[in-house]
Amino acid sequence: MSMYDDRDNLYIGPPKTPDSATWVTRFFRIGLLLVFALLMGRLYQLQIVRGDAYRTDADDNRFRLVESPAPRGVMYDRTGQILVRNRPSFEISLVPDDLPFNDPETEIDEQAAEIEHVLQVLNAGQDPDVALRMGELMFRRLGRADYANTVENAGVDLNYVFVPGPVETTADEEGQPQATTSSTIRIPDLTQQLPMEGLVALVQRAIELGGQGSASEPVPILDLVDRTRAFEIVEESYAMPSVRVNEVPVREYIYGDLLSHILGFLGPIPAALEDEYRANGYTNPNERVGLNGLEFSYQTELRGLPGYKNVEVDILGREMRTVGQVIDPVPGSNLILNIYKPLQEAMYNELEKAMEETGAPWAVSIAMNPQNGAILGMVSLPSYDNNIFAERINEDYLALEADKRRPLINYAIGGLYPPGSTFKLVTSAAALEDDVIGESTIIRDDGPIYLPNKFFPDDPEQAQEFVSWNHALGIVHGPLNVVQALALSNDIFFYWLGGGYPPAEFKGLGQKELSRWAELFGYGDPTGIDLPGEVGAIVPDDQWKRQLYAESWTTGDSYNMAIGQGYLLSTPLQVLVSAATVANGGTVYEPQVVRQVVDANGGLQRDFEPRIRRELPLDDGIIDIVREGMWAAVNSEIGTAAGAQVPGVTVAGKTGTAEFCEYIPELEDCRRDEEGNLPTHAWFVGFAPYEDPEIAVVTFLYDGGEGSAVAVPVTQKILAAYFNDIAPRTEETTP
Amino acid sequence: MLAVLTLIGIGIAMIYSATVTTIDLSDYWLRQLVFVGLGVVVLIAATFFDYHYFQILAIPIFLLFTGSLVAVLLFGVNQGGSVRWISVGGVLVQPTEAGKFLVIIYLAWYLSWFHNEMGRLPYLLGALALLLAPLVLVYLEPDLGMTVTFAFIGGVLILAGGVRLWQIGLMAFGALLTLPFLWGALQGYMVERIQVFLNPQDNPGAAFNVNQALIAVGSGGWLGRGWGYGSQNQLHFLRVRHTDFIFSVIAEELGLIGATIVIGLLLFVVWRLLRIADHAQDHFGRLIALGVAALIFFQALINVSMNLSLAPVTGLTLPFVSYGGSSLISMMFAIGLAESVAIHQGRTEF
Repeated sequence: MSMYDDRDNLYIGPPKTPDSATWVTRFFRIGLLLVFALLMGRLYQLQIVRGDAYRTDADDNRFRLVESPAPRGVMYDRTGQILVRNRPSFEISLVPDDLPFNDPETEIDEQAAEIEHVLQVLNAGQDPDVALRMGELMFRRLGRADYANTVENAGVDLNYVFVPGPVETTADEEGQPQATTSSTIRIPDLTQQLPMEGLVALVQRAIELGGQGSASEPVPILDLVDRTRAFEIVEESYAMPSVRVNEVPVREYIYGDLLSHILGFLGPIPAALEDEYRANGYTNPNERVGLNGLEFSYQTELRGLPGYKNVEVDILGREMRTVGQVIDPVPGSNLILNIYKPLQEAMYNELEKAMEETGAPWAVSIAMNPQNGAILGMVSLPSYDNNIFAERINEDYLALEADKRRPLINYAIGGLYPPGSTFKLVTSAAALEDDVIGESTIIRDDGPIYLPNKFFPDDPEQAQEFVSWNHALGIVHGPLNVVQALALSNDIFFYWLGGGYPPAEFKGLGQKELSRWAELFGYGDPTGIDLPGEVGAIVPDDQWKRQLYAESWTTGDSYNMAIGQGYLLSTPLQVLVSAATVANGGTVYEPQVVRQVVDANGGLQRDFEPRIRRELPLDDGIIDIVREGMWAAVNSEIGTAAGAQVPGVTVAGKTGTAEFCEYIPELEDCRRDEEGNLPTHAWFVGFAPYEDPEIAVVTFLYDGGEGSAVAVPVTQKILAAYFNDIAPRTEETTP
Repeated sequence: MLAVLTLIGIGIAMIYSATVTTIDLSDYWLRQLVFVGLGVVVLIAATFFDYHYFQILAIPIFLLFTGSLVAVLLFGVNQGGSVRWISVGGVLVQPTEAGKFLVIIYLAWYLSWFHNEMGRLPYLLGALALLLAPLVLVYLEPDLGMTVTFAFIGGVLILAGGVRLWQIGLMAFGALLTLPFLWGALQGYMVERIQVFLNPQDNPGAAFNVNQALIAVGSGGWLGRGWGYGSQNQLHFLRVRHTDFIFSVIAEELGLIGATIVIGLLLFVVWRLLRIADHAQDHFGRLIALGVAALIFFQALINVSMNLSLAPVTGLTLPFVSYGGSSLISMMFAIGLAESVAIHQGRTEF
């Protein structure tokens, strides 16, 4: 357009007035250059300076790591009976990223509208089951306060119910639960069916929270959907890109109450441990993990490894193609337990019957192979149905929480009680090894013995009296050797062994030796069983008593400890381990519930391997004397446990009747019966066959009464069931 | 001309890339090609039509335009919350698109006709009234982008039309006074968009488009990801990628180099238009060329700025590049108008 350049000279019209247009165009050109510079600068800043960051953002947009969960391993009993399996079930979730945005230019809330549409498809408006289940899921996800606020802000009136709060227990010096205090908390009534607006508000809130972490992570809104319904939903929701239908198998514990303490249950990752799980490769925040029992302790083996694939998605979250390597999931391993399911049933039934008869609030029975530590059965009553953790938080669950007997606790490994006379096994072995007595040493029971009062040693009135259980019946046992003393469970004999008897110039084991041997036999530290929640109580010694009571250890303390009263507390499993050690000749095994870990293809990953904790430093023949005492308790005419005999096999055992103090604040004393006697726990621990033991059983009934009257018959029936039905004797092994 | 055609060519290629993977839109690049054909006819016709005749048509144009805007408000078709289209025999027409050059024509006529009287206040107010009448109507639709565009074109023309310095001062003062009222009168969606621009983190949902555009632009780098390989574009993370955000597609797929070429071409076109204005012999022609320059400059600036998060989101398209028949054809008509100014010099002066 060069023709304009020389136009000015040819111009012959009216003189061109210098007007504002001239400086406007000039100004305009400067603006043009400035704008060009500005836009270039901005482009350079965005594309070159920050280009890499934006490239990463773009990749974050389009690549999505999709996790394919591995099927969780199942569990079998020792004989191959399936105990827990996976039931197919479907979960409906929404991807926050794929929901429409709330466009501020329009009146309607697009997101809420889409959620409502989804909920209509799920039938949440009509089907009360769906509405209730969604309410529960949202309650679990949002928590009590957020749930209530969200629903009420949506203009829905909530009903409330009161449930007992967390139980706080104070323990007395024996560790017995004394007073339980519990405040009630007000929670929304989950049996109230929420109207649509309430559910939409809850889901929107959950999406909002879920989107804060990763907006491409699906937020579950409904689970426990069966296959038919899931397919219907998939078909109906084709136009709703945010809806995901995933198969999330539900754990089905086939025998419920029978094995719940062993198997445990699954649940969402606890909020407090989220970081830890994430660090261990739990990338899906909705994954359910083992929270108790074997589900917890074998979580890694059962879980397997989830598979991953990188997919390129478009804005609607549709998978366009798979990028790079696909990692297939590795299915979880299966567990084969040492448990005999039929034995477990026998134990469960017999113990339940005994509890009904005695009114004991809780009770335990455990069976173990004393030769290797394999747990053959373990029952803690009351029990609970672990399936309810997979299902809804309904009345069953609330009842479980409210139950004063706390069924969720596995008392076999989680309760601490005085072992009573079962501890005499330890005392006698220690006394024989330390040469306090010999096999034929005779100690006379001539009635109660007295320890002089420390401050008034010459005043017999002030002396402390120690009696044997038989004295209350007007019987004295007279001269006894160690076998007879074990058979009769005579207390005087063991007082002598524990604390000595100065008037006869008899020197006992004393606190140090008692404590040392208690620890050697497996008291104190937890036994190391492969179940969570096991406790142990420190074995008391002089220093412990000084710290706790500001008093020194007395001979009386040694007396009490020698017969399993006083300060020493143990779990039923520890008592069983100590008796099994006697049965097998002096080896302390760690109990194990799991026998084998088998991968999904049947390959053996881990076979059973007995875990020896220690060999007791006992001279030859000493354990045989203690074993003989246990034989005599069952098989001699004088024995306390004659009721434990099983036709066809020789049983040996030891009873226990442990006094305990349940402090009643109003009385400022322990609970006592009319005659002033303390209540007692009933204990019996036995093994069979005597010659070559293959099963050891402990039975414990809290506040159950006499060991010989209550715990012995239960154990007898368990042993009978074992030898008749589960592992019948062949001709050769029958004596 | 060549620059314009290059821009259009780039536009069609990018529209193809932006829409071919979306079934509903996959023939848009073809439709744009048809519009280009129409546009070229319009351009050539406008070029050879002597622009001086528009002086006669100026008053009817003004009446027709304001009339159609009133009609839009009364009978218009509501789309996405605003009324911008009117149905003429079944075809949706957006009068504001044609309005771009209509405003230029009648304002240029008024300002050149009363050129010598512009120093007097009543005539200036008359010009303002001519500008404000359609402005208010467009604002009521509501269409913030167009309102601002008209205001800019009008402002440039009135400035160039021969106002005195003291008048500019007065107008600036008046504008300052009305500013608070303007904010109050801004319609809800406009306030929201401006707030999203100022504080994007407060409204992540609404800032989504802007953010995705930034990611698209930023991931382009020097040479871009290649035509048809922009992930933001191809996987539809960019919304309205064939119209409002076409520049992001260019920046993503063609990189800094491609984006610079596009901006450069656009500004080159404006530069040429200013040259036409400088060389125009009469006020009318000069103001028309200037108006067209202002129109293209402003739309390009606002659209690119919006793609680069320098300005709030408005519905303004990128001249010649964005998809859209009425926008393209009216732009090409505007260019034709300016070309007409260029070639019809001197004849009618005698």
